[in-house]
Amino acid sequence: MAGLELLSDQGYRLDGRKAAELRKVQARMGVFAQADGSAYIEQGNTKALAVVYGPHEVRGSRSKTLHDRAVINCQYSMATFSTAERKRRPHGDRKSTEMSLHLKQTFEAAVLTNLYPRSQIDIYVKILQSDGGNYSACVNAATLAVVDAGIPMRDYVCACTAGFVDETPLADLCHAEESGGGTSLALALLPRGGHIALLQMDARLHQDHLETLMEAAMTACKGVSKVLDEVVRQHLQVVSALTGE
Amino acid sequence: MIKTEKVLHLKSSRGRKVRVVREHYLREHVPCYSSLCQAQCANEGKVLSGEVTHYVMPDAGVARDFMEILEFREIQGIVFTQTACQAVQHSRGRRQYNRLRSLLKDPRHHCILFANEFQEYSYCPREKGEPQDKWQTRCVYHAAVWYHDHLAGLKPVVMITEDQTAVAEYSSLNCGVYVLCTQEYLQTFWPELQAALELYCSIAQSLQEKGSEGTEREYTEHLPAEVLEAGIKSGRYIQGTLNVNKHRAQHEAFVRFEGSSNKSSELTVHPLPELNSDVLVCGGKNRNRAVHGDMVAVELLPKGEWRGRTTALTEGQGEEKGDETQSQPMATGRVVGILQRNWRDYVVTFPPKEETQSQSRNSQRILATPWDQRIPKIRISTQQADKLQDHRVIVRLDSWDSTSLYPNGHSVRVLGRAGELETEVQTILIENCIHVPPFSEAQLGEMPVSSPESPWSVDPAEVITRRDLRKTHLVFSIDPRGCEDVDDTLSVRSLPPGPGGQRLELGVHIADVTHFVKEGSLTDLEARARATTYYLADRRYDMLPAVLSADLCSLLGGVDRYAMSVMWDLDAQTMAVNNVWYGRTLIQSSYQLYYELAQALLNGEEAEVPELAHLPPGERDAKLAQLTQALETLTHVARQLRAQRDRGGALELEGVEVRAQLDEDRNITALVPRQPLEVHETVAECMIYANHWVARKIHESFPQQALLRHHPPPRQEFFNQLQDSARARGFTIDTRSNKALADSLDRAVDPQDPLVNRLLRVMATMAMSNALYFSTGACPVEQYYHYGLALDRYTHFTSPIRRYADMIVHRLLTAAIAMEKGAGPAKARASNKELEEVAQQINNKNRAAQHAQKVSTELFQCLYFRDKDPETDERCVADAVIYTIRANGMLVFIPRYGLKGAVYLKNREGQVVSERQDGGCDWQTGSLQRYLDHITTTTAAGTSTFNLFQHITVRISVQPSRCHSDTIRLEVVSNRPHQAPETQAQPQGARGRSQLVQEVVRQAEEASQQAEEKRGRAPKLSKEEREFRQSKCPNLYSLLEEVRELALLDLAACGAGGGLGAAAQACATSA
Repeated sequence: MAGLELLSDQGYRLDGRKAAELRKVQARMGVFAQADGSAYIEQGNTKALAVVYGPHEVRGSRSKTLHDRAVINCQYSMATFSTAERKRRPHGDRKSTEMSLHLKQTFEAAVLTNLYPRSQIDIYVKILQSDGGNYSACVNAATLAVVDAGIPMRDYVCACTAGFVDETPLADLCHAEESGGGTSLALALLPRGGHIALLQMDARLHQDHLETLMEAAMTACKGVSKVLDEVVRQHLQVVSALTGE
Repeated sequence: MIKTEKVLHLKSSRGRKVRVVREHYLREHVPCYSSLCQAQCANEGKVLSGEVTHYVMPDAGVARDFMEILEFREIQGIVFTQTACQAVQHSRGRRQYNRLRSLLKDPRHHCILFANEFQEYSYCPREKGEPQDKWQTRCVYHAAVWYHDHLAGLKPVVMITEDQTAVAEYSSLNCGVYVLCTQEYLQTFWPELQAALELYCSIAQSLQEKGSEGTEREYTEHLPAEVLEAGIKSGRYIQGTLNVNKHRAQHEAFVRFEGSSNKSSELTVHPLPELNSDVLVCGGKNRNRAVHGDMVAVELLPKGEWRGRTTALTEGQGEEKGDETQSQPMATGRVVGILQRNWRDYVVTFPPKEETQSQSRNSQRILATPWDQRIPKIRISTQQADKLQDHRVIVRLDSWDSTSLYPNGHSVRVLGRAGELETEVQTILIENCIHVPPFSEAQLGEMPVSSPESPWSVDPAEVITRRDLRKTHLVFSIDPRGCEDVDDTLSVRSLPPGPGGQRLELGVHIADVTHFVKEGSLTDLEARARATTYYLADRRYDMLPAVLSADLCSLLGGVDRYAMSVMWDLDAQTMAVNNVWYGRTLIQSSYQLYYELAQALLNGEEAEVPELAHLPPGERDAKLAQLTQALETLTHVARQLRAQRDRGGALELEGVEVRAQLDEDRNITALVPRQPLEVHETVAECMIYANHWVARKIHESFPQQALLRHHPPPRQEFFNQLQDSARARGFTIDTRSNKALADSLDRAVDPQDPLVNRLLRVMATMAMSNALYFSTGACPVEQYYHYGLALDRYTHFTSPIRRYADMIVHRLLTAAIAMEKGAGPAKARASNKELEEVAQQINNKNRAAQHAQKVSTELFQCLYFRDKDPETDERCVADAVIYTIRANGMLVFIPRYGLKGAVYLKNREGQVVSERQDGGCDWQTGSLQRYLDHITTTTAAGTSTFNLFQHITVRISVQPSRCHSDTIRLEVVSNRPHQAPETQAQPQGARGRSQLVQEVVRQAEEASQQAEEKRGRAPKLSKEEREFRQSKCPNLYSLLEEVRELALLDLAACGAGGGLGAAAQACATSA
């Protein structure tokens, strides 16, 4: 049987999107009352939940304390039911550890940690359903949760993936496209300044194409940021209506 | 803008059933690609015209099973739905799907793809429990309804399906949307397209038969694709293309590795020294349903079961007994899986009636024998068996199940009765995948008009942009006499002396074909598909329509023509290049010379130049002197250039070869027997020079995407045979470099027998690989070298009328000039990848063209000898030279007919040839002993010896074959040189092959005329066909170059017999 045709001659992708189109993004903030901040996001069929605690005093060993800024602690996990075949181990495996580290790096670049010396911010992210672009869903969810928690950031951190098929960059890959073996680039962007918080790429790519691929990923990130901004504003309206201000 | 929806898919991966949820986005605006669209769809690219009576929408089943019918160009207005396309992709694999894709891209076919599943209103989700085919049919129907409504009912839409319940269910639901089954559709809408209906019946029948197969397993199952892939990666299986030995099609096949780049890794995986050659696959069971040309995976057998390749010559289809003639055991394997089928159309012959009797009456399954011996018999079910017996028919293979001994196929088209000339020629074309339909109306419509009433004239706008050489340069062409497609002209003049001394200007002016054929036009696409003009022994098929090739692009004398020129400013002494100018020009050729005339002028002989005939004597002499002067300068320049190249190591393998063939060529022989003229070389040298400089230019301008031609150095082991043979005569051949080879070949001359040198050169030529086109981005710079010509860059520029590669080079050169002028890259050039694809395609077509030419020559040889009685006719006895010794015979060359073939010294009863006292030979019981340079037969009567390069006498006869092509058969008459009455032999010899072709054509035409009178049918050769044969043969330059390029046959054919023939025949027929 022939391999999947990721991009048809007419320019359609497997799920009917064109090359530069994103999946449908839906998000809600403040889903949990107990945590300081929380958010839920759906990017197509990828669903993620993020919870933020803090800033609070450093727990556990005091040696981790930084005297001039806050420590960011991230934990990433996937629900056992998030993939087509049940996962054995929801967190703690290599992939999750790596992902946690990436998240940590991303948010250290975005959160104004120097406002909270000697304290700690915990970000917990869980993938409820996985369909490609797990990292970007996590970053986007965590951004909303951090905003919900009221922790100041330089800018939204928006993340999106991009792939490269038949000389054409594809934005926001779904699982089938990601597993096709082609290049996949994950980018976390601070959209207003255009600063890159994290860039990660799997598989090989000719350097001539890198530019176009980055361009596509950045455009996609800016698209995501618009949606997130909308969500935040809406949430603010609802909340302010509740508090009667 | 976008609405999300989810679809559920049940998908199994690694055998386990997994439920996968995929998103499915729908949109309101999906382009319909119809010119009738009322809703301003964003239609780009190919659009269906509104001028058809209806649109037809095949459902998934029809698209899957009956795609071949939809490939008819006559059927227009086809709307493929996405549903149908996906069905093709899933059930038929990549090959079929790619065919569909190219169909959709090809502007010559009126079909488009409508992405119905992404259209909000035409999409229908699959319901729970609905079978897939039902759902697909429903989808297509909904799409048809939507399409009809979208076009506001302007065009009726017909949906065709094979599902009778669907016809019943849907046909009355909507007006304007008709649901028909395929057969009914073809009968109603295309009653004149009988071929389509026949094809339909044939496919339908073979599909029906497929269900009722036996269950007895004949072959082991193929392994699944994942296992194969993993196996190849781990080195357990070897991937390669299956090559069946033509002479032992039942037994021997070889698997050739993929490319040379893989080879190194292959070797690291298998540290066995034997594995740098091919893998042998013995017998049908081991071959496991693989067909010649398929990409297969093989597993090596344990070393104990390895076998050698057979070195004996086989007589016809005779079975080989015993293994005593086998060579060293080599790697042997068995096919475990097929990675990619490579089936094409095959020509088969239906068996005569008595063989088909055993089958049941109305649906007969018949085993038809393919024309190509390497293909197994094909089982076809047909009701026309009686009608088709002894006819040649095109078939396609459908499947080959493990339960069946033979593959299943269906017939496509009937070619005609076996043995008729027209049928045989068509067979050759089909077997080489050459498709040359007459040019269509639309293509001819693109051509500029040039008729006696409204002659074509030069466009004033073009005059401004081109450099006008009409007044300033003396331009002339030299071609064979009577040539009509002149694509190259020359000019030479002296320039005012510069700082470096005397200067010359040499100009090569090539017909500007690309001015008339725009990139991407229908004519261009057709030319690209054909890639070259095909020359068969008695006819030719042009690459471009006649109006271009014989008129507007032909640089005829005395008329204004557009040209593409290269002009060198040369130092008159050293031939150093001061400056080169490339560009488009306007020329008028003053003289259209032919070779003999030009040579006569050079030699200072009396010659009548037709262009000067009407001038007064004084003026005539002045003009003649001017022309002669130009020719002399040209010759001088060419000699110098040749000398430069010789110093680099250019091979002159061709010189002798051509000379030999020339005396058999009708045009040249008649006038100049034996002697090739220097002027031939002069013209050829100028062309090579032009090609070389253009190659340098385009490579400089487009380092990544220029089309060049390279000739890889041959592998040293191929020279072994040459060296052994030469040693038998006491010569040493140094093959370390092309220069060494050229020098040592020059030394290896036997003063007694000029044929020895000639045969050695032929053998050297055989050892070489083909020269190939490539894109510069695809090859490292070291590999650009042209071994035969000893040039670091080479391309084809000088014959755009008959080669597509030259047209690409012309376009590249135009772009390079534009870039230089600062116009910038006006249009994106073809990328390296695309260019490489085109180059491969041209290479393949060239190979096919050469092969077709060779086979057609053989066909004519056979037809010639068929009517002669070998026992009595003097012409059937000829002198032959032995050039290779084999285990049970030898390969010989017959100079008189340019024939090569095998001679057996041992027949099937085990008798050997022995010599009588008077020199004659007869068959007796005895034994055969083979040595390196001779072979001896020992019988009771005595011993006779046959040495390498010995002259013997052979009798030529034809071995008829019903299913395959007839073959020439040679028998030893005596082991002494043939002594024919000198007076008779000479004119006969001079007549040669061309005479032979003419004679056969005449006979065939007479025969067909007689037949016509009886039946009162239309003549087989249409008027157009006659017109299209403008000049009977291409110019001599092409011939010289053809050989110079050393573009030879594939080495597989060199195997057991007759292989050597190809080289010489290619030379002869391209003349």
